[in-house]
Amino acid sequence: MKFKSKLASGLVIAGLSIMMSTSAFAWNEGGGEKDEAMHLTPDLENGREVYEVCSACHYPEGWGTEDGTFPQLAGQYRAVLIKQLADIRERNRDNPTMYPFALPESIGDAQALADVVEYISTLPMNPDNGKGQWAEGTAEFTQGKKLYDDNCVKCHGDHGQGDKVKFYPRIEGQHYKYMLRQFEWIRDGKRRNANPDMVKQIKAFSDKDMQMVINYVSRIKVDKKDLAPSKDWKNPDFD
Amino acid sequence: MSKKLILSIAAVCLSTAMGSAQALDGAALFKNPQKGGCTACHGKDAKSPIMPMYPKLAGQNSAYLLQQLKDIKSGKRNNGMTAAMKGIMHMVNDDEMKAISDYLATLKP
Repeated sequence: MKFKSKLASGLVIAGLSIMMSTSAFAWNEGGGEKDEAMHLTPDLENGREVYEVCSACHYPEGWGTEDGTFPQLAGQYRAVLIKQLADIRERNRDNPTMYPFALPESIGDAQALADVVEYISTLPMNPDNGKGQWAEGTAEFTQGKKLYDDNCVKCHGDHGQGDKVKFYPRIEGQHYKYMLRQFEWIRDGKRRNANPDMVKQIKAFSDKDMQMVINYVSRIKVDKKDLAPSKDWKNPDFD
Repeated sequence: MSKKLILSIAAVCLSTAMGSAQALDGAALFKNPQKGGCTACHGKDAKSPIMPMYPKLAGQNSAYLLQQLKDIKSGKRNNGMTAAMKGIMHMVNDDEMKAISDYLATLKP
């Protein structure tokens, strides 16, 4: 009996650790290509060449599309971009449109990840990102700010700056429609690499709550030093 | 009807026709990320796809291309690599798909 109960608790522990490691894998497991790319010395020139593939959708400026199909990459943290690329490559984030481009056959190995992300870090942000419909002063804007302050600040910061060490994305300046789609997927369990803390935090958000909080985020004013001088700025590295 | 009126109607018709032809430049649509970023997979010249799984499009018949575009957009066709393409099809409407198909048909294979 004693043996049996020891065995049973051993099994429980084994089962638990499998569950825990699975959920850790889904959000942010250490090691693997992500860590490898994080520690490599980037080659900016090769990064520019690799980025040419990305530019066909994300634009040479890295600004994505206002309709949210393609997100803005400019301004995003190196750690976040490497993690998302590695996750898409590992099929830990479902993205059928981007998947073929993320493959080593298309862009290269972990070194290429380090390189392209270094190149992206040189791009200034879009000064005219897509915004939600509610301007400052509307009830929806105010409610969105309240939702943000109550639920999001702890991880994404007081102005949507995120946390580059913890792999929390910068969300200020991102397109409204892109964030809305990702938020919904995270809430509804479709983003497999979502942070479980966030899934829990936003579980009770209605669709309207979601629109209001994202509307607020899309309207946070990004520090001018991070923005391109005008919305007509073109990346001189590509013609 | 006065000659002047007929002339101005003709001018309006002409400029409308030119306007829509200008608005629907198949080559520009094909290369525009705002319209799906076709070149990302199929290559800037429409004959250098990034993977052999993707088709060369240059010189393909317009009617065939248009039908595939419509079917992938509607979900009627969902085999092969269409999962990768479905996600961007909301960015083009019927007229734009037609203009892109016509443009691709003019290219040398």
